[in-house]
Amino acid sequence: MRPFTYLSAPDVTTALRAIATEPGARLLAGGTNLVDLMRQDVERPTTVVDISTLPLDEVQELPAGGLRIGALVRNSRLAAHPAVRSRYPVLSQAVLSGASGQLRNMATVGGNLLQRTRCPYFADGTAACNKRDPGSGCAAIGGFHRGSAVLGTSEHCIATHPSDMAVALVALDAVVEVQSLRGTRRIPLAELHVLPGDTPDVETALDPDELVTAVELPALPVAASSRYRKVRDRASFAFALVSVAAAMEVADGTVTAARLALGGVAARPWRAHLAERALVGAPATEEDFRRAATAELATAVGRPQNAFKIELARRTVVATLHQLTTEGGAA
Amino acid sequence: MRLTCTVNGDRHEVDDVWEGESLLYVLRERMGLPGSKNACEQGECGSCTVYLDGVPVCACLVAAGQAQGREVGTVEGLAGPGELHPVQEAFLEAGAVQCGFCTPGLLVATDDLVRRSRAEGRRPADAEIREALAGNLCRCTGYEKILDAVRLAADRMAGEAR
Amino acid sequence: MSTPTRTPAGAPSSVGGPGGRIGDDAQRPDGVLKVRGEFAYASDLWMDDMLWGVTLRSPHPYARIRSVDVGPALAVPGVHAVLTSDDVPGEKVYGLELADQPVLALDVVRYQGEPVALVAADHPDTARRAAARIVVDYDVWEPVTDARAALGHPTWNQVHDAPAAVTELSRESAHLHPHGNLVRHLKVRKGDPEPTADVVVVGEYEVGMQDQAFLGPESGLAVPGEDGGVDLYVATQWLHVDQRQICSALAMPPEKVRLTLAGVGGAFGGREDLSMHVHACLLALHTGKPVKMSYNREESFFGHVHRHPATMRYEHGATRDGDLVYVKAEIFLDGGAYASSTPAVVGNAGTMGLGPYVVPNVHVDCYGAYTNNPPCGAMRGFGSVQTAFAYEAQMDALAAELGMDPVELRCRNAMELGSETPTGQVVDSPAPVAELLRRLVAMPLPPEPATGDDVDLRHMPGGVSNTTHGEGVRRGVGYAVAYKNVAFSEGFDDYSTARVRLEVVGGEAVATVHTAAAEVGQGLVTVEQQIARTELGVDAVVVHPKDTAVGSAGSSSASRQTYVTGGAVKAACEAVRGRVLERARGLVGRPAGDLRLDGGKVVSDLEGVALPLADVLGDDAVEETVEWRHRPTQALDPDTGQGFAHVQYAFSAHRAVVDVDTELGLVKVVEMACTQDVGKAINPQAVVGQIQGGTAQGLGLAVMEEILVRDGRVQNPSFTDYLIPTVLDMPPMRIEVLEYADPHAPYGLRGVGEAPNISSGPAVLAAIRQATGLPLRRVPVRPEHLTGT
Repeated sequence: MRPFTYLSAPDVTTALRAIATEPGARLLAGGTNLVDLMRQDVERPTTVVDISTLPLDEVQELPAGGLRIGALVRNSRLAAHPAVRSRYPVLSQAVLSGASGQLRNMATVGGNLLQRTRCPYFADGTAACNKRDPGSGCAAIGGFHRGSAVLGTSEHCIATHPSDMAVALVALDAVVEVQSLRGTRRIPLAELHVLPGDTPDVETALDPDELVTAVELPALPVAASSRYRKVRDRASFAFALVSVAAAMEVADGTVTAARLALGGVAARPWRAHLAERALVGAPATEEDFRRAATAELATAVGRPQNAFKIELARRTVVATLHQLTTEGGAA
Repeated sequence: MRLTCTVNGDRHEVDDVWEGESLLYVLRERMGLPGSKNACEQGECGSCTVYLDGVPVCACLVAAGQAQGREVGTVEGLAGPGELHPVQEAFLEAGAVQCGFCTPGLLVATDDLVRRSRAEGRRPADAEIREALAGNLCRCTGYEKILDAVRLAADRMAGEAR
Repeated sequence: MSTPTRTPAGAPSSVGGPGGRIGDDAQRPDGVLKVRGEFAYASDLWMDDMLWGVTLRSPHPYARIRSVDVGPALAVPGVHAVLTSDDVPGEKVYGLELADQPVLALDVVRYQGEPVALVAADHPDTARRAAARIVVDYDVWEPVTDARAALGHPTWNQVHDAPAAVTELSRESAHLHPHGNLVRHLKVRKGDPEPTADVVVVGEYEVGMQDQAFLGPESGLAVPGEDGGVDLYVATQWLHVDQRQICSALAMPPEKVRLTLAGVGGAFGGREDLSMHVHACLLALHTGKPVKMSYNREESFFGHVHRHPATMRYEHGATRDGDLVYVKAEIFLDGGAYASSTPAVVGNAGTMGLGPYVVPNVHVDCYGAYTNNPPCGAMRGFGSVQTAFAYEAQMDALAAELGMDPVELRCRNAMELGSETPTGQVVDSPAPVAELLRRLVAMPLPPEPATGDDVDLRHMPGGVSNTTHGEGVRRGVGYAVAYKNVAFSEGFDDYSTARVRLEVVGGEAVATVHTAAAEVGQGLVTVEQQIARTELGVDAVVVHPKDTAVGSAGSSSASRQTYVTGGAVKAACEAVRGRVLERARGLVGRPAGDLRLDGGKVVSDLEGVALPLADVLGDDAVEETVEWRHRPTQALDPDTGQGFAHVQYAFSAHRAVVDVDTELGLVKVVEMACTQDVGKAINPQAVVGQIQGGTAQGLGLAVMEEILVRDGRVQNPSFTDYLIPTVLDMPPMRIEVLEYADPHAPYGLRGVGEAPNISSGPAVLAAIRQATGLPLRRVPVRPEHLTGT
């Protein structure tokens, strides 16, 4: 790990000033990702701004019926929150399917959203990686890419975003609140992460001087009937090969509302708008679920080791939606 | 930098801590408390599990500065000198210790589980034990005797006054 | 010298509680320290003023080193030394069986992660940053990465610079030769060379590279001695073979290189080879200060050998009735860049590779090859793990072809006492293979998978991930049997040394057992106490720290320590007892032939004598040192592979019950049942612990564990990407332990540790095959292998 200056920010303004003036500053919250990457010499901040004690750890009811989740709410608290469990069960399930109890006790909502990819070449300083070292190439494309993305990739990067929580949030129309010394703005979560294109090193729509302060969930009745499913190599404590966050309402055998997102398949939590459009108004049958999933995955590009993910994603969508029609969404 | 925190009830003040050190490193190399283990130092094995303000975390991923002013609890603090905590006794009796490298982290995680269930006036079910300990890898035992130990400890601690 | 740490030395650490004799569930003498966090593992060692050593490793699997510039590293404040191969005073290469591995890279690096240079500094991060500033100029070469290609390749001699190209695969002169890409070719030939059979099944199988994944990283502390020598405290499996290699590299006699075992956080074969041993000693001798080295997890993946990946082709022929007629097998083991224990692994895979079955006609070729992949060597099961996946898959395929029950086919062909092995050796101790299987069949099966409202998701494939709800879930049941040699084979002079002392301290009789046998977690220290208590009739048994002040104990591997060091401790106790009773005879003044030791007294039941040991010994201590050997074995015939090569066999059998979500490719192992013959369970609780732990490692290899190597580069050197089973992956187990005494072994015992690691994985594979109908030729099985996607 390289030497750096450690600054414990006593208030939001101090933190904002630090990241606005220090180009090499990085924010430290739960530490579960940044500390590890600094040790691997992937992250090389000159200043670490510790924001973990800032008062951004509340879950509040919004006047219009939604929830405002502070960026520093720990994952375990979020998953256990009664309002989350009852109104957005998919979010609770997604959070609980990630990492381990110890890590969920540390990891924050903001940090979870901004965690870096787990593509092994990103952490391997001797390998080509356009995300870590722009212009060096992508070792995953010709190398080991079983875990890599199949949607929204580019010839420069096929890394996935590793979060489970974000997959649920993006399905729930979450909005991210961001602050800087210039003011506050709100970004739909679906637009927070950007696809790799020609610049895989640019991962979010945030400016360097911006701090995520909260995530807002709108009131969303369909979310009460929601589920998260994750397919992975081990029963727990492993990243998703494919995951699905789904919420759906069915009346008289017809889908009346649907929210669907995929994880483990793209550089961002993948909101499946095409599938949603195909679902709403269609009969709630496995055949129609499959058709909707197929529509979403039409542009997917598989490579030799990860092509299986496309059909696996399709099947996971079908199984999750089928489950919602038969069992509902209670956790 | 200077780091001040409470470990196992004792106030510790350590000078010349380098910013890049983890809480685990400070405990092991600067405070003489090597009980918390360094199996992966990536948060992937749970062998460094400690309490931070009463909540189990992986000490390897806590930056030293983040422990400033906090309360840390390690395996060394589970029982007083010459004593054994019921969870420690149960691990010994059940044969849940082989190489023992995962044991300190598992003991803290088990203590947390048993204390939480006892606070709710119940004993943890098997499925709950498995979920609670899924962040602690063990390579020697196949986990069966660890489960035995947790059940044994939960039974015994259920009988104790809180 | 006691181990240098800052943890309080617990006085009772090495003395067990009362009782705990042979056959009891005695508790570990190190248990209290371990649960209190006070046990001194190698990575916990600490001394005032110590330095931290780190290793610079090659990023390339194959390259020539043009130059190394250590100047920039030396210029970093806090750095005390930077060393390269030029600083190795003695032999610059080392190895367990062949000295072919550089202590620090010479002119060529042959695998990614090969040590190139060392740095000692006052802080580990300073040392790491300095190491990163060493400038190494590499001429990068194309690596040889396929074992079969390495042997038949036009440039087959590339890796180790053989003098001339040779195209014949089975070149006799290359047998165990350090040059060329062939490390060893073992041939087993028996019976009719061209047999025919009614029914023939052929299968090709592949097993991936498994990691030991012990949790305690490679660590140690080297302390320069006043005599110019060095004391090394290190986590290892065999102190004396380490000492031999360190002495060679340092050009020092053994009395100047003293090793003490530090606490070992698991081993499983991964600590047989040297890791940081010589490096730490070099740095300590150069700086004149104690030097600690402790790998992080990534470096650990590069710092020890792995289980050989294997590609195997098997052909089984049988009569219509299901009697095996012949087996032909071709087994390729990728040994990676250096020999390590590849020759012995080839020996095991070749001689054990047909399983515990009677086969009249045998044709086996087993090859170990050099490549530029990570070096492979010892791991629990040692060659038998890989082949068991193949031979048991073949037995199931044969049963299917014959329309027979797979267990019946196995029982019909099972070895038993008096059977002849494929290597012509007559099995001269119990071999209850059929009984192990029949007992498994008799055990109740777990309840059928729940459906509908009864589903508890946590019990379904995918577990807590809320993945499967009973739809598309198919159950399968599979069986497999392990067959493993115990202790060292093929004529190796396999012995252990025990020094036992009996004395009276503070009025209490105390025995001290001193061996160099490595306690790696398995509980050998407990067994040593149990034997001493049993043989000497005392409660207090001190286990002396393990060090090189006593003779070699051999390795804590090959399931051999309870047998061989146990035998040595028993023999040393008997010698001590003989002398004590002799003294007692003098005191009682008659030839009391029935005298024995019990309860700290000399006792004669016939005469009612009960003489306190204090009266017999006074202030004297009676001490005996014994070097103990098992029956000698013989080298295999180089042309036929026949011979009395193995001293004992271990047998275990597993039944696996799995639920497979065929839609999403998820496997839930519902239950593992195991039967094992252990001859005599010295410590039943520890025996069961070995079975459970071995089962978990086998299950891991079956469904998740693999070091992924591409173009010679390891892709997943972390516990993030190399997955081992968690508590959620391990099912409940049913275990039955059989005790059929081996008349040739101490107490009739049989080595325990490895067999359950061998039979578990193939049973899981058999169960998944039964559930899915898929052939599944490759291990580990991944979701995409099951979904057909």
